[in-house]
Amino acid sequence: MKKIKKQGRAGILSYGILAVFSLIVLYPLAWMLLTSLKTLEETFVIPPVWLPKHPSLKTYGDIFVKYPIAAYFRNSVIVVVVTTAVSVVVSCMAGYAASRSRSRFKRPFMTFLLVLQMFPAVMLLVPYYKMLTAYRLVDTLIGLILPNIAFTMPFCTWMMMGYFNTIPSELEQAAQIDGCNRYQSFIRVICPLTMPGVAATAIYSFIQVWNEYMFSQTLMKTETAKTLTVGIAQMVGEYRTLWNDMMAASVLTSLPLIIVFLFFQKQFIATLTSGAVKG
Amino acid sequence: MGRYLEKHFTLIFFLPAAVLSVLLIIYPMLYGVYISFFNTNLVNKWEFVGLENYTGLLTDTAFRNSLGVDLKFTLAVVAGHFVIGTILAVILNKEIKGRVFFRCILMLPWLIPEVVFAVLFKWILNPQYGIVNFSLIDLGFLSETVSWLGDVDLALPVVAAICILKGYPFVMIMVLSALQTVSGDLYEAARVDGCSEMKAFWHITVPSILPVLTVAFILDTVNWFKHYTMVNILTGGGPANSTSLVSVTIYKTAFGSFKFGVAGAMAVVVFFICYLMSWIYRRLTDEKD
Repeated sequence: MKKIKKQGRAGILSYGILAVFSLIVLYPLAWMLLTSLKTLEETFVIPPVWLPKHPSLKTYGDIFVKYPIAAYFRNSVIVVVVTTAVSVVVSCMAGYAASRSRSRFKRPFMTFLLVLQMFPAVMLLVPYYKMLTAYRLVDTLIGLILPNIAFTMPFCTWMMMGYFNTIPSELEQAAQIDGCNRYQSFIRVICPLTMPGVAATAIYSFIQVWNEYMFSQTLMKTETAKTLTVGIAQMVGEYRTLWNDMMAASVLTSLPLIIVFLFFQKQFIATLTSGAVKG
Repeated sequence: MGRYLEKHFTLIFFLPAAVLSVLLIIYPMLYGVYISFFNTNLVNKWEFVGLENYTGLLTDTAFRNSLGVDLKFTLAVVAGHFVIGTILAVILNKEIKGRVFFRCILMLPWLIPEVVFAVLFKWILNPQYGIVNFSLIDLGFLSETVSWLGDVDLALPVVAAICILKGYPFVMIMVLSALQTVSGDLYEAARVDGCSEMKAFWHITVPSILPVLTVAFILDTVNWFKHYTMVNILTGGGPANSTSLVSVTIYKTAFGSFKFGVAGAMAVVVFFICYLMSWIYRRLTDEKD
């Protein structure tokens, strides 16, 4: 009897903590969503009101006219897709080699990749700025894709290695006995099994690159060459900010990540931690 | 040829990653070190000054100040992540109703882009129209509006709190998935032996998830030590440099006052600090193997 009572109390405490944190998380997000449904006048009401009088999606249409949001969106998507494709292919190969190799170079190479992961991005900013200026790549999407590959590739390789470690090597051995060479066994036998790991690695890269701000802020000068993150950040006006526009743009920028994540969350979490733990 | 490819397949598989690392990371990094020995504007002025940029940092109060600020910031943020992340992970690991629902909600801050999170908080903390001030006045915690990000004493704690809220889900998922690998039999055995829940937590749970905690701890520390985006948008390093993290200071030195050589030297110093952290990380993880 006493035990049940104690558990009940612990249960209430658990729910209490979860509820409090959920509220803390949802409070700003709700305000973001509600602001985006308001008119500009309503955002400057004192004291502020939570619910808009006439909620409308008009702001969402307006921002596409007022700002080059479509161009920002396109640029972000291009940079994300190209960076992710390169990082995933390269890290898939390196991760597989790292998982199967008994070479004495393997450990130093993987450690080296991890160390690279730990260096501050700002350290590469000045040299990149100078180099990309020299090759006339400042203000181009290629110039932005290159540093993004540098940031995502190392950890992607670690994630892929963690994933390949979970695939037994008997599989390729069997394929090789059946007459496949190592490349054929990799492409025909291992790759199809790797899709969950690839998905998780791609999501990691997607999140990283979609979020990237410092390099795009510095390298992209033309208005239509900028990415979404920079576009939103520069909506903060010197004297007056159109908060409803900004919140609408923020909602649009957040949605892709949330949607992608909701679809793949299980795979993603499993691979993220297997790479970090088994490494 | 075929046999050669077959024999060296690992080398060939490593090749693209190795080439990209050299071209896109090693080369720029060495170039950054090279710049740090010059007094330069990167265009037409290249004056070799040797170690002057480095010796200058020793007396550079702005740099020393930002190292101090960064240290405080990183300590607070990482501690916050671990306390909140671990508590939530332990609760979400229990068989309770609605845990998938809560897990999705509690993951949200991690999925919101940093820029969005920062501008959103700039808006809700707005001294004139921000909702936070009015909510706190309604609840009776405040009597008048506060300029959260404009106060020298308040700015750093507030920025740190926002960064805690942004980053705790990372620790939460790491701990949660580590907890799921701990076998239930252990708890069963402990309970049979008359072990209390608190004791079981310290003697079974903590040692089992310690390796993951170590990894998460180092990744989180390095990650927030070099943080730039949110602080730059929220405060730009101000007021009075009270939130000027190292990355923000380096950025300003380079692209604000165009002292690229000095910025390079600062970056190299930060490089060594991060290297030290990664070295400690390797020592800790090697021990485990």
